[in-house]
Amino acid sequence: MTDLLHIPHAMTLSWRYGTSWYFAEFIRALRDERRLLGLRCPVCRRVYLPPRPVCGNCCAEMREWVEVKNSGTVRAFTIVHIPIIDPTTGEPRPAPYGMALIQLDGADTTLNHYLAGNDPSELRIGMRVRAVWREERRGALSDIVHFVAMNNEQSDNEH
Amino acid sequence: MRRVAIIGTGQTKHGKARDDVNQAELAREATTRALADAGINRRDVDAVVLSNMELFEGRALPEMWVGEGAGGYLKPVTKIATGGTSGTSACIAGYHQCASGLFDVVLVIGWEKHSEGATQTGMALTDPLWDRNVASGAVGNFALSISQYVAERGVTPQQAAKVAVKARRNAAKNPYAHLQIGDITVEKVLESRMLADPVHRLDMCPQSDGACAVIYAAEDRAKKICQRPAWVRAAVTRHDQPYIGDLDRRLVTMRTLRDAAREAYERAGITEPLKELDVAEIYEPVSYAELAWYEALGFCAEGDAGRLIDDGVTEIEGELPVNPSGGVLSTNPVGASGVIRVAEAAMQVMGRAGDHQIPGARLALATGYGVYAWSDVIILSADEAE
Amino acid sequence: MNTDNFVVAGVNLSFKYAAGEAASRFLIALRDEKKILGARCPSCQRVLVPARSFCPRCFVETSEWIEVGPAGTVIAFAPLSPLPLGEGLGVRVAFALIHLDGADTALAHFIGEVDSPRIGLRVIAVFAESRRGHILDIAYFKPE
Repeated sequence: MTDLLHIPHAMTLSWRYGTSWYFAEFIRALRDERRLLGLRCPVCRRVYLPPRPVCGNCCAEMREWVEVKNSGTVRAFTIVHIPIIDPTTGEPRPAPYGMALIQLDGADTTLNHYLAGNDPSELRIGMRVRAVWREERRGALSDIVHFVAMNNEQSDNEH
Repeated sequence: MRRVAIIGTGQTKHGKARDDVNQAELAREATTRALADAGINRRDVDAVVLSNMELFEGRALPEMWVGEGAGGYLKPVTKIATGGTSGTSACIAGYHQCASGLFDVVLVIGWEKHSEGATQTGMALTDPLWDRNVASGAVGNFALSISQYVAERGVTPQQAAKVAVKARRNAAKNPYAHLQIGDITVEKVLESRMLADPVHRLDMCPQSDGACAVIYAAEDRAKKICQRPAWVRAAVTRHDQPYIGDLDRRLVTMRTLRDAAREAYERAGITEPLKELDVAEIYEPVSYAELAWYEALGFCAEGDAGRLIDDGVTEIEGELPVNPSGGVLSTNPVGASGVIRVAEAAMQVMGRAGDHQIPGARLALATGYGVYAWSDVIILSADEAE
Repeated sequence: MNTDNFVVAGVNLSFKYAAGEAASRFLIALRDEKKILGARCPSCQRVLVPARSFCPRCFVETSEWIEVGPAGTVIAFAPLSPLPLGEGLGVRVAFALIHLDGADTALAHFIGEVDSPRIGLRVIAVFAESRRGHILDIAYFKPE
């Protein structure tokens, strides 16, 4: 009976992706001004955040920027318990951690991001959350660390 | 367009790790079985379509290597890579190649060897602008949508667990299936490790090594070669916007599956799917998804999926057996998973499904699911036309 | 250049590919016996190197396994530019297709210890000191 061999292969790959005008503007506002911007479709009037150049529903180009608050409502959530590779580090993200689809106030789509909190009984669809910003921002969605539950004392305008 | 039928299928024994064969040999195992099932040889095949997610095993141009295992030498070979729908998309591409009149006999094969690869890292290579900032993985993404589905439609973890149990008990009758855990119970599912709330480990599909092939033939060839082929009555695809946050409540609305099914039923002349279909092989990566698909496929009204599983309607002895093969929940080599749905649906209407044959099956549904919300719907019948 | 117009992303990937029974047997012969094996197709009679389980043209299982080489003839080559190849360039000077004595297909490998490679050059395998069941258990081919 033949021994069954395996051929190992490891590689490190990296890419430099060209983005576009809407990414550059969104990131500039995020990083430099701690402002969140969405793009509005001229036909259906939906505001997309993150922004993209064309409304998929209407096939219409979007050029109208709309400011969106950094507070919002959780529309879906989960707590991840297993090691998932964090693409920003290349390493498994320490679990458990919360994730959510968050509809920011002023936007019609939801943003996929992290949610503070590990206890599913404390989380619910419809809860109000606000962004927690990194001190030093680099120009990426990860400049928001995660979203935390807003308690009653907090106003939407606090950054 | 010509009428097209499936005249043969072939599968490997699917498992956690097929170390005895390399990828080309795995493909050959399924290919030779499909050729034998059809009663033809490699020379009779006019074109080959491959289904594989090359990033999962880190092989650029897998068609170059594996194509020869699929009998592709000196034949036109195409490769399709569309996430979970790769297999069903490849089956639809193969059907198109045959129906167009360009080719009379087309072989479609999907395969994957997850044991060799870095599937999770492949899933981490999502769009670089937005998604790559967040570590969700497949299960995290499903869990997000499931939280919405549960909130709106009120299915319980027990009902989802019943789907997981049904799949694995059915797999016990399928000699090719990967997971063989026929003694599974609802309790075992709910006690298994939590992956991402509310999805337990036993609610989720495995990662498998395996391959599956189907062979199409056009009208006259099909009738000449095969006594009881599986006629393609509909083959429909729908894709959707790419960002997860754009898809509203995707498991709840599942507009791609809904729309694809509507068109497929129309083409096949089906008005009451629950009554008229004899069997369904649907692509269910997680137990909750199968419940959502019952609604999207029109097997029941919105919010009624839980009742369907509670009443045993979709069990192997029920009114509409769903996934008598064990489904993706029991066997999941991603490039092959969609082809397996089509092959199993074909086996049913051809009367070749062995111990998991649904007696008298003549009309079967197969679906594919992939990326965030892409859907394929294929309807096969023992009857050539209405 | 405005860096907001680019996103840099990287990943570390590692794979382990099953060689399968046939390729394992071929590689173990390199590792343990310093032998290069070919397999014959019972239909077209060609000896395929590296030995493999089936002939892709005839689509049948190969039958007998025979030793080929270790010498052969260069039928094509391309000089290597000094780029890191991961395994270390060392004495290798060209990438080549080598038609080993007794084989009907060519083996893709390296040639070394030669100033001017040419088509038709007779070469012989140089095995690595330390072997692990890998095609690079043959380090390269040198002039016979």
